[in-house]
Amino acid sequence: MSAQHRHGPASTNPDRLPSRRGFLRDAGLGLGGVALSAILKRDLFAAASSPPDGRPHFAPKAKSVIWLFMIGGASHVESFDPKPALNEYAGKTFAETPYGGVLESPFLANERVVAFDPNNGFVRKTCYPLQVGFQPRGESGLEISDWWPHLAESVDDLCLIRSMWTEDSNHGAQLQFHTGRHRIDGFFPTIGSWVHYGLGTLNENLPEFVVLGTPLADCCGGQEAHRANYLGPRYDGIPLQVDPANSMPYLAPEKGVYVEEQRQQFELLDRLNQITADEHPDDEAIRARMRSYELAFRMQMAVPEIVDLDRETAQTRAMYGLDADETRTFGQQMLAARRLVERGVRFVQVYHGSNGGAGGWDSHSNLKNSHTKLCGQVDQPIGALLKDLKQRGLLDETLVVWATEFGRTPGSQNGNGRDHHPYGFTIWMAGGGIKGGIAHGATDELGFHAVENRHYVTDVHATVLHQLGLDPHRLVVPGRQRLQRDFGTPIHEIIA
Amino acid sequence: MPRPLVCFPALLALCVLPTAGVHSAEPVDYARDIKPLFAVKCGTCHGALEQEAGLRLDAGTLILAGGDSGAIVVPGDASASSLIARVASDDIDQRMPPEGEGEPLSAEQIALVTAWIDAGAVAPDDEPIPVDPHEHWAFHAPVRPPLPTDVDSDSDIDADDASQNPIDRFLSVQQRSVGAQPVERADDTTLLRRVYFDLIGLPPSRAQQQVFAADESPDRWQRLVDELLASPHYGERWGRHWMDVWRYSDWDGYKQELRGSQRHIWRWRDWIVDSLNADKGYDRMIVEMLAGDELAPGDEEVLPATGFLGRNYHNSNRDMWLDATVEHTAKGFLGITLNCARCHEHKYDPIPQQAYYRFRAIFEPHKLRTDQLPAEPNLLKDGISRAFDAEPDTATYLYVRGNEKDPDKEHPLSPGVPDVFGDSLDVTPVSLPVETYFPALRRFAMEQQLATADQQLAAAQRALSEATTQAAQKQPAAQDQPDGKDKDKDKDKDNAPADVALLEHKRDVARANVRSLEARQAADRAKYLTPAMDSDEAEVERLAVEAAWAERAHKLAQARLAVYEHTTAVAIAESSNEADEMKKQKAVDDARKKLEEANKALAEAEVEAEKSDGTYTHVGEIYPASSTGRRLALARWITAAENPLAARVAVNHIWLRHFGTPLVENVFDFGLRSPRPRHVELLDWLAVELIENGWSTKHLHRLILTSDAWQRASAATGDVAQRNLQVDPDNQTFWRMNVRRLEAEIVRDNVLAVSGDLDPQLGGPEIPHDQGETSPRRSIYLQTAYEKQMTMLVDFDAASPNECYRRSESIVPQQALALANSTLTLDKSRVLAGRLWEEVNETASADAPTSDDSDARFVDVAYRQIFARPPQEAELAACRAFLREQSAVLAQPASLTSFVGGAESKVAPADDAAQRARENLIHVLMNHNDFVTAR
Repeated sequence: MSAQHRHGPASTNPDRLPSRRGFLRDAGLGLGGVALSAILKRDLFAAASSPPDGRPHFAPKAKSVIWLFMIGGASHVESFDPKPALNEYAGKTFAETPYGGVLESPFLANERVVAFDPNNGFVRKTCYPLQVGFQPRGESGLEISDWWPHLAESVDDLCLIRSMWTEDSNHGAQLQFHTGRHRIDGFFPTIGSWVHYGLGTLNENLPEFVVLGTPLADCCGGQEAHRANYLGPRYDGIPLQVDPANSMPYLAPEKGVYVEEQRQQFELLDRLNQITADEHPDDEAIRARMRSYELAFRMQMAVPEIVDLDRETAQTRAMYGLDADETRTFGQQMLAARRLVERGVRFVQVYHGSNGGAGGWDSHSNLKNSHTKLCGQVDQPIGALLKDLKQRGLLDETLVVWATEFGRTPGSQNGNGRDHHPYGFTIWMAGGGIKGGIAHGATDELGFHAVENRHYVTDVHATVLHQLGLDPHRLVVPGRQRLQRDFGTPIHEIIA
Repeated sequence: MPRPLVCFPALLALCVLPTAGVHSAEPVDYARDIKPLFAVKCGTCHGALEQEAGLRLDAGTLILAGGDSGAIVVPGDASASSLIARVASDDIDQRMPPEGEGEPLSAEQIALVTAWIDAGAVAPDDEPIPVDPHEHWAFHAPVRPPLPTDVDSDSDIDADDASQNPIDRFLSVQQRSVGAQPVERADDTTLLRRVYFDLIGLPPSRAQQQVFAADESPDRWQRLVDELLASPHYGERWGRHWMDVWRYSDWDGYKQELRGSQRHIWRWRDWIVDSLNADKGYDRMIVEMLAGDELAPGDEEVLPATGFLGRNYHNSNRDMWLDATVEHTAKGFLGITLNCARCHEHKYDPIPQQAYYRFRAIFEPHKLRTDQLPAEPNLLKDGISRAFDAEPDTATYLYVRGNEKDPDKEHPLSPGVPDVFGDSLDVTPVSLPVETYFPALRRFAMEQQLATADQQLAAAQRALSEATTQAAQKQPAAQDQPDGKDKDKDKDKDNAPADVALLEHKRDVARANVRSLEARQAADRAKYLTPAMDSDEAEVERLAVEAAWAERAHKLAQARLAVYEHTTAVAIAESSNEADEMKKQKAVDDARKKLEEANKALAEAEVEAEKSDGTYTHVGEIYPASSTGRRLALARWITAAENPLAARVAVNHIWLRHFGTPLVENVFDFGLRSPRPRHVELLDWLAVELIENGWSTKHLHRLILTSDAWQRASAATGDVAQRNLQVDPDNQTFWRMNVRRLEAEIVRDNVLAVSGDLDPQLGGPEIPHDQGETSPRRSIYLQTAYEKQMTMLVDFDAASPNECYRRSESIVPQQALALANSTLTLDKSRVLAGRLWEEVNETASADAPTSDDSDARFVDVAYRQIFARPPQEAELAACRAFLREQSAVLAQPASLTSFVGGAESKVAPADDAAQRARENLIHVLMNHNDFVTAR
């Protein structure tokens, strides 16, 4: 789209749309945020499940969420939860350490799998030493591993939650992290779709829930991890590519179609639809369809612009790592994420590590090599995102969540790797009214079980919703049972 | 990227609960806050069905009355009310609901109940006391109600018209009861387009429009309906509807690994289409889908029907597989949410948890397999996926609280249906013909197996004779002692001396294989195919001994070949020019070890070869020779005339798809959450009508389409409509037709059809979903599976392959983008514009028209082609103005800005600006609201 910007400036800036005569005549009817969100949510049968009115339930602390998900299970003990005992007892079985009790914990019973895997998903019982060093960082002195040097510079904005647990000891945990339900229970609305469902839009030209990066593989939930299930498809996350020429399916016609040509077509379409609409004054659908074309037209103009990173300064681009092969892809996604929240997108879900299977972070062997490489891909871009949001004054209103489906076993697998570990792991949050420079909760000395302030994944959802001013108990859909655990509980201790 | 599923969101559900939200500022309201809460938390044990401790909590008066131990509520004083003490108790033995019967009340919920009691425990006096759930309307077989006779007594409904069709008679009673008056019949052009989409999912061609317009015979409507019902496209259109309900899914998986559904399950799709076209009874369809393998074990026309079961396959978890089977058999055919009883008793319906697992026991023995077809031995390429009872003795246990890790092994469960329906299943085992349980003995399979072995032998012999000839020409050559140069990869293989001895061994193996196969087939034939009375035991035994001998000879030949190959490998390793001594030594050691193993195996084979018993390997898999008959019993029970649900559920699905709204709102839950519907008499009349007419769905279609109700206008104009909008704004009494958005598949098919490019071919394997933009085939044939659906179809609310009992009709910008920017619509608008313009020129050349006339004619045919009606004046004017202006704009390409561009089309835009403008116009019409709408 950049060429188009150079040659046809008038046509692409959503603030300076060309003369639209009849096409946007309904402007008075609903281009304000909330009213327009009602249009977005327009559904002939909306009455069957009347959605919330788009206003938060109480004063929000944050406007938007950037949700980073590392696919495959990033090692907590080599990122944010150092366990010197693993070095001290390296090569010894747990029974030979003072902490053998971890193997008798009732928490082990939480484990549940779709299918037994003879190779992976076991408790590994021989201490595997840490593959990286840790340093105290920033004023807070929180320890972060040497694989995260850029992120560590923002440590005083981070809130580490070191006491996460989940159920699935296989990669269905990826889906579970987003829906709060085990894969065996089926598919459910995801956290991003609840946000979309609960809140009105801040920018009528853009989707409210955007997905960046390659989604999960089919094994592990696939696109169900950013879908809305029973809330309806209009609350699904919409995948965007960071490519102005091809940012979303059907966003632009083929090359060679003229912008002016299509604009005239939309004008005619509007005129013809209006003739039919006049004949059928009680037909709500035709009016909704006419508005959907307005919105489509606006999205068509606004979306390519937002993923056109050439509009950023060389300095910004460099900061996000766009000039290095290793960091470019994720750097582009982080920069696009900032541009999206800057323009009012509510929820940006970014996947990292998709590989058609369990995910890149799944380091059963060669953990040192693979984590060095993976951290190298995301550390600088994430660090840049936090600093950039902060310097623009956006961090206060943007909640950044870094997560992964589970941690990795304190014990070794294959001599140089770690297995899946659902019993205790770390995620972090930053900005959006969350306290910085703290670690909340803890695992035991081996990094095995979450033992202090334990949190199931829906507590993260509840915290996200709370910061956005939403009470999950008020987001129920008539006729849909949600269990108490589905709602989770906001982690009040970490809220500033 | 394929987005999701979905369906009618509010209906998709689960087992559910009206959640009592926290309405902080408002006073507690019994009906809104308390009643639904008690229904979920307490209803199972303290309701109409059961009254533990003599207590009922399903009506305000009953709550206040208390139970065996007296009052539980002291109005105005929650702290003195034992109800609060019990629900708020920390003592697990005291707390209600008890452990395992449901989650405790949350603090907010307890606060609600407390507030309600403190405020005086006010409940309406006139609240009806719920009746015994067994009395629920849908739990008793439908009885044909008498037709209403006095329909026009005090209204201006035309008695002659209304009396013609029972549907109109029943509806007019309801219309009068609310004071609505039905509107007029729709005009011919509207009706024609409506009926085409309704019955075949394609628009009427201009020729078909003309034929209908010219037809003045009194029975022209009936004939049209009959013609359309006889069209093979009817089966495609209604097949897709039933595929929603029956959860059709193509196979899914990662690369070639099968993870869900079944390969070649398109044969089930084709069976659905064919069955509908043949008007096979709906009852027969259910029996074939649930138990085709028990009903007609050897019938390859019937077996694909069991795709209904195959589609539930889940590669990694048998519980998820059977859970889906139970849930959707119950929802799809019976309209009951049996799945709600998986972890606990059903919260609304009289269905204990045990009933869920007894229903599962019906399916416990069944598994799936793919049977070979004569034309294709490779089962990855083709075959018939079908169900069969593989494990008749596998026990079914109740999972305590639904936890698969906690089966109640003390109490194995027998197959059965919920007691509320009164009957028990009549299960009779079915013995199967030999070709079914031993399919490798089918003649074509044996011949194919033998032909393959013969080909292998011929190839081995050919290779040997070529090598021998070659060796003779190149004398002398060291034959048996390869010198290591053979392994030199750079050397041209054709020039290397062939290893004649190796080829001799291979020939021996192939020959022994043929002999083994022949002997084993003969033995299996004698044992399994000879009728018992003709069976000669001695002969069977003799053949078995021969088969065993031939098989051992084959193994011996294989063992000799292996020894020879490993001897060669050792020689190659020893003479290798590998520089690294360690590596070389390891290679030699490995090769010697393998040779040693091969020698050992040979020694064993030689010993074996001396034996003379009759133990041999059968020529193919032998499955159980009988089937439990459980599924057949279930299918017979479902389709019995006395079954209260099957016909009603089917009628409701059919009605929904003709009218856009159903007679029973929740199409998969006819349980207690579906109160007696307004149109229950109509529903029951149609259900009995369906059953008594051989479950012919075409009969039902005909009845509905010839009703006045179906033919009414959808427009609500005029005084009558305005009055109706006051008394029945939601059209509950069907005083008009509903305007409907076309389903995803029909939107795409419509693009293809109006363009003239639609390929009407029926059936066959699924077409990859990413070919949806270019394939000319109907959308029903595009792959649809988890993670594998065409984006445009998903944007238009295509059925989730996982579950979709009812489509949603959303209107979102993605639909606009898909129609505006897809290569499909760009291509087809260009193609159609070309065709129409050519036609306009051909017919017009005689009277040398002005370009204005041509434009007008073009717009006229375009409207007829695309909307099956002529344009109105205002439309004509707008289109003509557009053609003029757009031609002028396009004539100045230098001043225009090109899009950077999405996917590339197959058909380029016209070079001529005027023609390109016409293409633009067609494209606009394909984006018109009414292109995706049936009025």
